[in-house]
Amino acid sequence: MKLRLLLCMAMSLLAQDQKVLVITADASDYVLAAGGTIAGMAASGATVWLVRVTNDDKDSWDLPPEETARRTREESERAARILGIGKVVSLGYRAGELGGVSPTELRDRLMFYVRSFKPGVMFIPNPYAEYVEVLDRYYTGQAAEEARRAASLANFQPPFASVGLETHLTPELYYYAQPFDPRRREAESTATFAPQPKALDIAPMLAKKIQAAQALKTVNHALAMRIQQRLQETGRRLPLLDRVDDDAVGKLVEINVRKLAEIGAQGTGYSAAEEFHYAGVEYQIPAKYR
Amino acid sequence: MRLLIALVLAGVLGAQPLPLGRIPPGRTLLVIEPHHDDHTTDYGMGGLIARFVEEGHRAWYVRASNDEKDGAHGYPHNDMINLRESLEATRILGMEGVHGLNWRNDYMDSIPLNELRAQLILLIRKHRPDAVLGHDPWAHYDRNPDHRKVARALAEAYWMAGLANVHPEHFELGLKPHRVPYLFFKARVDYGKGHEPNVAMELTESQVRKKMKAYSTHRNVYASPAMARAVRAQIEIPEVKGLTDEEAAVRFEEWHMEWISRKRGRENGVRYAEVYFYRDEFDHLPGLKNYITSNTVKQ
Ligand SMILES: [Zn+2]
Repeated sequence: MKLRLLLCMAMSLLAQDQKVLVITADASDYVLAAGGTIAGMAASGATVWLVRVTNDDKDSWDLPPEETARRTREESERAARILGIGKVVSLGYRAGELGGVSPTELRDRLMFYVRSFKPGVMFIPNPYAEYVEVLDRYYTGQAAEEARRAASLANFQPPFASVGLETHLTPELYYYAQPFDPRRREAESTATFAPQPKALDIAPMLAKKIQAAQALKTVNHALAMRIQQRLQETGRRLPLLDRVDDDAVGKLVEINVRKLAEIGAQGTGYSAAEEFHYAGVEYQIPAKYR
Repeated sequence: MRLLIALVLAGVLGAQPLPLGRIPPGRTLLVIEPHHDDHTTDYGMGGLIARFVEEGHRAWYVRASNDEKDGAHGYPHNDMINLRESLEATRILGMEGVHGLNWRNDYMDSIPLNELRAQLILLIRKHRPDAVLGHDPWAHYDRNPDHRKVARALAEAYWMAGLANVHPEHFELGLKPHRVPYLFFKARVDYGKGHEPNVAMELTESQVRKKMKAYSTHRNVYASPAMARAVRAQIEIPEVKGLTDEEAAVRFEEWHMEWISRKRGRENGVRYAEVYFYRDEFDHLPGLKNYITSNTVKQ
């Protein structure tokens, strides 16, 4: 009982001065999978940082990689501002090439931000979500999960401590992914010490989420063009994309975000939701001791 | 009690037949696999390849490894025998040819992933396949390093080949970006819950026959006369009476393919089948798939 009281006090202290660290492989993934929840936390006073691992230099239509990277950087900062994120760090790894990057190097770069920012909450790509097409998300998720743990142990990167980056354990962890995995709702084997599926209501933040997703103009335009081209090559057309202009692309993004929120809400009673695997208090202390 | 209910439920769900799939529209099929014999390993593909070809696709086989460990003739001889058998087996399935990438067999864990992926992207852009068949990149418990590596490279190659900023040097050759719209992933479905198929592909008897023949063509690794001799010493099998051990071994291997095709068929309400994890052309856009499919019109 005493322990439970202490935990509650600790949690409410956390909420007053909550710090949220979001790690994403690319500009759009965290917005589409977790943008509503993050915006909600920012709106209730949390300080949010975003670490974007790649430079998104591949995802465009008719633009060279350098120009793609420059535009996407600006647009990702704009999207982050809309969600209420205070600071965006872009690590600048080339998109689609994390499979050739040392996982330890990536882990240590992410650990740097865990130790310097000392978040109470982390959002990371779920490396266990299957059938995710963009494997940068998988590599980033793996490195981020390790970074959270390594940040709490003094024997990882001793030089960090010598410049004041002391160990830090992030108490709450959200694993996010867009709904590709057909078995994402299945509970993990045990309810304790394993992250469990969790859905959160994002209805009040849905408009913000749509706006943030729409800010990613370069990747959205490329997506619309690829859909249009595929349909055209196979003798079909989508009337919405007869003219791929800002309005049409914006509408396409809105349809996408609304549908993702509807998929997230299925079976939850919410009208719009995001689904996570979540490691919180249950992850640290079994229910019978609380 | 809860466990019991879960087990009963799993039993019932497991018994549910899968939806029967159709050959997706298109003309070209690329089968991307590590090994010479993977068109028929893990119970898969030989029948579906034959069906694709019979329904009008031209098909090519990408064989990433040199298969030097498969066989008892030493590395260089194994290489050559397996290449020959690979050409023969894919011909039986009606395929047009084999691209050998010649990476060292069973040592692919340490090869550069992005280099392998670049080779696949080049071949995807050359052939512009409508469908790709390969190992499931998300399968669990595949103990073969080459299967894991090639599946991982394929998992990105099929869509990255569609991005103009990926390997732009290919466009100097007149190639164009191409995203593969349809995918069939295979894996052992009896290796735990790591691979759950979502579609059964029905096969005709002739397709199963081609699969059986293609499989037993790989004499260098399968169809061992010693195995047949050992089996026949224990039980009498009337169907192979009068055959040599070598002929009997071939027969046994073919029965194995017949058995699994029949079993997958029975589980799914048809005579013969293979099962896959199938990805449709807009499955990568879960928030847009419905909208696109229900609002798209003919040009
Ligand atoms: Zn193999």
